[in-house]
Amino acid sequence: MTAAVGAPAVTAEVRSGARRWLRSYLMMLRFDVRGLGQWLGFGLVIQVLMGAGMAFMYGFYLGDVPDVVKTFLATGIPALALIPLGLVLVPNLVGQQRIAETYDFIWSLPVPRLAAAASTFTVFTTMALPGAATALGVGVWYYDVDLSVSWAVIPAVLLTSLMSTSVGFGMAHAIKNPVVINFVANMIVFFVLLFSPIVIPISRFPDWLASVHRVLPFHHMAQVLRDALSDGLVTGVAGSYLVLAAWTVAGWVATGWVVARRG
Amino acid sequence: MTSLTAEVRTGPTEWLRGYRVMTRWELSSLRLLLPLIVAVQVLVGGGFALGIGLFFEEIPTRNALFLTTGVAVVTLITVGFVLGPQLVSNQKTAGTYDFMWSLPVPRTSQAAAWTTVNAFIALPGMIAALLIAGWRYDLPLRVSWSVVPAVVLTIVTATMVGYAFAHAIPKPMITQLITQLLIFVILGFAPINFPQENLPAWLAEVNMYLPFHHMAVVIRAGLTDGLVSGVVGSYAVVGAYAVASTVVAAIVIGRRG
Repeated sequence: MTAAVGAPAVTAEVRSGARRWLRSYLMMLRFDVRGLGQWLGFGLVIQVLMGAGMAFMYGFYLGDVPDVVKTFLATGIPALALIPLGLVLVPNLVGQQRIAETYDFIWSLPVPRLAAAASTFTVFTTMALPGAATALGVGVWYYDVDLSVSWAVIPAVLLTSLMSTSVGFGMAHAIKNPVVINFVANMIVFFVLLFSPIVIPISRFPDWLASVHRVLPFHHMAQVLRDALSDGLVTGVAGSYLVLAAWTVAGWVATGWVVARRG
Repeated sequence: MTSLTAEVRTGPTEWLRGYRVMTRWELSSLRLLLPLIVAVQVLVGGGFALGIGLFFEEIPTRNALFLTTGVAVVTLITVGFVLGPQLVSNQKTAGTYDFMWSLPVPRTSQAAAWTTVNAFIALPGMIAALLIAGWRYDLPLRVSWSVVPAVVLTIVTATMVGYAFAHAIPKPMITQLITQLLIFVILGFAPINFPQENLPAWLAEVNMYLPFHHMAVVIRAGLTDGLVSGVVGSYAVVGAYAVASTVVAAIVIGRRG
């Protein structure tokens, strides 16, 4: 028996290069969008509703407030609307994949892992935008404030959204237990909605908490967005951009570390 | 040949046994999470009481009273409305859901056991929230005996509503989204943490038909003096929700196959 003889040689050439990466990225985009399916539409609706909802709810808590506070609210709420998607939905999605045991399957797909990660970033960064825009629109209308929008709103929104998706993704990959991820994600939302200088001036915080917030990204998210939407409310915005960039990179490093590991 | 004895065990003794073992089952399956969940409840309750204070330059006593009692209500009902459905949806995703139903105990005893466990989880958070907020804002709270039926009715209703939709909806992802939405409504759009007059008239009207506002009313009536009115009507609404959700839950869990 000469079964081995004449068998076709297995071509195990490793495919690489920029074009293949781009092709994989586009395929993974399609894979992600299709995989999310109806859920994508549902998620978008929820995002928009949440964005609009946040714009109202702070007003309900506060009752009647002066104009400066209203401007602060209207310019802070888009930042709030960007946070839950990246820091809650993304980690929970990865957590669900782990529970359903499709997590390993996705990593086993024959595409560069970074292309898969980049696709996730793209999908969720894009998905966050309508919610933030709605939050801004509703806020401006409900609190009746005049904003002066500058071109800086584009990098501000993109960086903020990318930062929260990246940190959420990094966190979800670094933490193995889906229950813990869910817990951490919920804690973040709670902490952000109540204890972060996004819709409240940082000067109202106790000193120690204000210092913590100069390191965490949330205050800086609000800073860059507020700077792009108003005049004279914000100073030191360059530093805020730097902090956000640093958090984005940290999210990528955490992801990269997990992505590069095999088995 | 030995004959199989397939006698169906029923009756109150059997139900009580089922209730006891299922309460033990739920508690021990949560044993690692339980201290964590209770700690989170305490932190969330206390955190809310302190955090909302930051929104105000100087918080008026009336707002502080609403906030303090509201936070107690929120910690009490989120376990039933949110945590319960999330646990059920996790079981569905992990594939242990059908196993739970296959256990040889009456399904209603499982529901009762879960309600008991909910009370275990929710009460420490509620008490902590009251203590922390009472200390922070130095409030004139007046606790009366009527807080007991108010708390029991509220816990049962919240748990049963959560139970009903968690079991009725097959897709875990939808349940998760609903729970997130519920948190949002409870915190932002129901007059629990703030007075009803801060809402637009139409939304205040909508809340008259939802359970959240009325749960807050009955509990506030047990904790304060003269802050709320129309308590009897609120008891009626919460009671109606309790009955309706129990019926729905019974139908859903009564289905076989």
